[in-house]
Amino acid sequence: MGNKTVNLIGKNSMRIVLTLLPIIGFLILWQLAAMFTSIGNLMPGPIQVIESLFISFAKPLGPHTIQMHALYSLKRVMVGYGSAVVTGIIFGVSLGLSKMFRALFRPLFELIRPIPTVAWIPISILWFGVDEMSKYFIVFYGAFANVALSVYMGIQRVDPVLVGAAKMLGCSERQLTFKVVLPSCIPYIFSGMQVALSAGIMSVVVAEMINSYEGIGWNIHAGQQTANMTQVLTGMVALAIFGLLMAAILRQVERRMCAWNTRNT
Amino acid sequence: MADSEVDTRQREILVRVRDLTKRFDDLLVLDNISFNVYRHEFLCIVGPTGCGKTTFLNSLTRLYDITSGEILLDNEPVDLRKHNISYVFQEASAMPWLTVEDNIRFGLKIRKFSKDVADARVEDVIKLVNLQKFRNYYPAQLSIGMLQRVVIARAFATNPTLLLMDEPYGQLDIELRYMLEDELIAIWEKTRATVVFITHNIEEAVYLGQRILVLTNKPATIKREIVNDLPRPRNIADHKFVELRETVTQLIKWW
Ligand SMILES: Nc1ncnc2c1ncn2[C@@H]1O[C@H](COP(=O)(O)OP(=O)(O)OP(=O)(O)O)[C@@H](O)[C@H]1O
Ligand SMILES: [Mg+2]
Repeated sequence: MGNKTVNLIGKNSMRIVLTLLPIIGFLILWQLAAMFTSIGNLMPGPIQVIESLFISFAKPLGPHTIQMHALYSLKRVMVGYGSAVVTGIIFGVSLGLSKMFRALFRPLFELIRPIPTVAWIPISILWFGVDEMSKYFIVFYGAFANVALSVYMGIQRVDPVLVGAAKMLGCSERQLTFKVVLPSCIPYIFSGMQVALSAGIMSVVVAEMINSYEGIGWNIHAGQQTANMTQVLTGMVALAIFGLLMAAILRQVERRMCAWNTRNT
Repeated sequence: MADSEVDTRQREILVRVRDLTKRFDDLLVLDNISFNVYRHEFLCIVGPTGCGKTTFLNSLTRLYDITSGEILLDNEPVDLRKHNISYVFQEASAMPWLTVEDNIRFGLKIRKFSKDVADARVEDVIKLVNLQKFRNYYPAQLSIGMLQRVVIARAFATNPTLLLMDEPYGQLDIELRYMLEDELIAIWEKTRATVVFITHNIEEAVYLGQRILVLTNKPATIKREIVNDLPRPRNIADHKFVELRETVTQLIKWW
């Protein structure tokens, strides 16, 4: 018993060491390079960046503090991504369940889908102006197809044995949809949501870099414009933390809602 | 033997299969099969691998359309929404997103049993299959043997008029199979359900069945009906048991 606990602690700390080692190594290398090589003329080291990040919590970068920038980006992601998740699930489910819907909308969907998000920015400004709406649209577009496709795939991959079993237990077509097909899609919905989240964050950054006066993406762009590499890197680090937090939250939600799909973890 | 055949004929017919034929395009799988299933009996159907056993059950339940012939349950064509038939598939079929308890409750909810009745039924069958301690587990956390018990509990929970089982223990190791076979017999004796049990394991058929239908190779027809009135609990080493097992083996060997 005692032995086992020690073993477990040993294993856990081993994992933490393995995780941190490359990160710390990378930071040290970066710092050394910034201090002792010509890279130092081009960009600051990590200490300076992290310092700048902390300072930016109190002292505005451009119009806002970094947390305000993050809130702007967060709001855009929430609105654009949130509506993409809702409509993407509905669209994917309709594609999967209705032959008619599939025949009507699949070709159109396949036609529009290959157009990259960035390519929509000029038209989105034309349609929605330079304010928030055009950013919502870009995030929405970036996320939508990922959710829709994943849900559609989930419906196609429903285990026919489970459908047969449910029929034998007396399910009507309607009950089959709600008690078997949709529940068995939930893991696909979440995996679509994860991919869509990365795509949504990418989209918001692109939108903010091209057409915005605030947000984390704006920071990076503004830093480039003024040749302020510290600001660029501060934005990038903030973005990494932002993305990591969002993905972690979504994973927690999935673990709560989808406990049956996570074996022993 | 003669006595039991008379006894069989006096029993009430639950399922009447007449001239059942099933083709998949050009492939004739079931060739003009006729027989009865009697109420409360335990019927085993044995046949070689690939002869059409699963096809037969799927035709009976209307999961497949039949080519010709007639299948009547209580003198009516089978209707899954109306008739209470349970079917334990060859493959694992517990719903992964439901706990053991909710899986067992699934059919009771669909068939709109009142909450009190459903609760009582769930408690009964969960005890029968010995899964009380695992009621809040998800299928991914269970072993194959436990999963099969969940499915069997689910099948018995609705108190089905007819219980169909398609090689439910085919994937299990021998010890577990013996245990579940005994469990099944106990449940059957308690609930008085009518069971049609399909297997290609001859020993299993002789151990379980009151009556055994031996099928031929594809296209399947009924080669022989055997009444098995060996007393329970049966002993697989008993010479009468061995004798009967040999008889069935010979029937399957000589086409
Ligand atoms: N849906 C289908 N479409 C076409 N052919 C089928 C279909 N289902 C079964 N068959 C064919 O019918 C024959 C009988 O299959 P079936 O699954 O009923 O056999 P089985 O006796 O259950 O075999 P096993 O012992 O392997 O379970 C096989 O030759 C199979 O290829
Ligand atoms: Mg089969």
